[in-house]
Amino acid sequence: MKRFKTTKGMIGIILLLLIALVAIVGPMVIPPDAATAMDMRARRAPPSLTHIFGTDQLGRDLMYRVILGTRTSLEIAVSAVVMSIVLGLPLGLISGYFGGFVDNVLMRLVDTLLAFPALLLALTISAVLGPNIQNTIIAIGVAFTPYLARIIRGEALRVAQMPYVEAARSAGTTDLMIMWRHVLPNILPAVIVQGTISLAFAILAEAGLSFLGLGTQPPAASWGLMIQASRDQLDIAPWTALVPGLAVALTVLGLNMFGDVLRDILDPRSK
Amino acid sequence: MTYVLNRLLSVILTLFLITLVTFAVTNILPGDVAMMIMGTQSNPEALAGLRESLGLNDPLLVQYGHWVGGMISGDWGNSLIFKKPIFELLAQKAAASAIIVAMSMIIALALAVPLGVWAAVHRDKWQDTVSSTSALMGVSLPDFFWGILMILVFARWLGWFPSSGFVDPAENFLGTLRHAFLPSLALGLGLMAHLTRMTRSTMTGILNQEFIRVARAKGLAERTVIWRYALANAIGPVITIAGLQIGYLFGSIIVMESLFGYTGMGWLTYQALLNRDLPLIQSTVFVIAAVVMLTNLAVDLLYVVIDPRIRLG
Repeated sequence: MKRFKTTKGMIGIILLLLIALVAIVGPMVIPPDAATAMDMRARRAPPSLTHIFGTDQLGRDLMYRVILGTRTSLEIAVSAVVMSIVLGLPLGLISGYFGGFVDNVLMRLVDTLLAFPALLLALTISAVLGPNIQNTIIAIGVAFTPYLARIIRGEALRVAQMPYVEAARSAGTTDLMIMWRHVLPNILPAVIVQGTISLAFAILAEAGLSFLGLGTQPPAASWGLMIQASRDQLDIAPWTALVPGLAVALTVLGLNMFGDVLRDILDPRSK
Repeated sequence: MTYVLNRLLSVILTLFLITLVTFAVTNILPGDVAMMIMGTQSNPEALAGLRESLGLNDPLLVQYGHWVGGMISGDWGNSLIFKKPIFELLAQKAAASAIIVAMSMIIALALAVPLGVWAAVHRDKWQDTVSSTSALMGVSLPDFFWGILMILVFARWLGWFPSSGFVDPAENFLGTLRHAFLPSLALGLGLMAHLTRMTRSTMTGILNQEFIRVARAKGLAERTVIWRYALANAIGPVITIAGLQIGYLFGSIIVMESLFGYTGMGWLTYQALLNRDLPLIQSTVFVIAAVVMLTNLAVDLLYVVIDPRIRLG
């Protein structure tokens, strides 16, 4: 745990704790209709004591909306990454462990999927399924799966050649058992690191999808949607873009810093 | 020769797989193309007739065959929203996007390589911190947010560049570049981070090697050692990573071109997705994936040319 005590690690952890706190506690403590209440006399009000982050084009308080957006973003990002791990883990594990023909076929498919830019794949899936929160999760989850599968396969390949795996095999342990007891625990650190880094990308992807109108739909609060709405009022109310932009930036920054430190600790080879 | 043949076969196979994936993804939930063309209020008989003539009642496999067969023979179908042949549309928009992709790559490399070298030379000093912090900032902001900042600062406040639109390069090439600059800069800043890190780590490895010590011992100027000796060896991996970022770039141009109203491939893809123009979605998605795949291949081959130590096997 000592290595977390670098400046970078500390900043990352503090940022993440803060954001998690906002996402979990925030929606519980703010007044129920605070984020949707429109104050028509205070439309596009700059940051002040009554509205700390200012208000948007409908006079809604930006601080409350950013807080609700935190929950939306994290919910989508976490679900999407979990989904990509659930899909990518068996793919990569089987491919890397068995190798040979199975590996060839699976990785050919994964490589094909990697030719599709993740954002394009996510946008297309979301557009075809019809944009809403659930489909945004599916879209990002599927789009990230090939990346996860690739990395997990590489790790599984490495572990499958270890002497202890060979020993287990010669002792007559079944493949399934070896994968479960020996391979999986040893690739878990890499999966955790990749998952953390993927979270950062998922936050960006959700913001991008919502920004383009193919992610979270209004009236739900989402950072991407808020930035989208700010486009037409940049000159008169730049804070409507800066507030949600900063929220995305801090979250992704926190995840990236935390991910970097986590990688140094869990995956010593990457140093 | 065998290597080239193998690569070629693998390219054809991958292209085929790309068509399969594209078709599968766009047909998960077959939105009714006929209804999209005629509107929801049109009469059922006319709809049924149109469905029949478009081949929508055929089994999926037959539809897939038609689509791929059409693409091979040059008939890519018509866009539902633009009412134009898709191939023509794509050909028009491709050049615009090529300009943005090339420009953002140049901007990213021009920023990342010196920054990475600077960090590697002054490893673990303040210069290194500045470099890695700015790289981290680069990846942490969504690229469309960079785009909005660019519009705010360079278009609205300073008025140096137009905030949106596209100019035909045949009419006014300088105008095209002016319109492409801000979106490219925004993309380049997002791209830069990864390349800076790569340059730094490759350079660090190389600066620790014997031949660098020899070069220094010979009394060569430090500038020559770093730029001529070390960087020449580090640039290969950096270019490879840059090439692999093409995929990321093609995802990002969808956002960036839409934000800047720059009518290229990304903008076209977005219009297709937003309006659920299924034939156009299929073609743009296919073309983008194919371009990404071919660029990666080109980078592989380029790497062999740059670094003679790599043997074709």
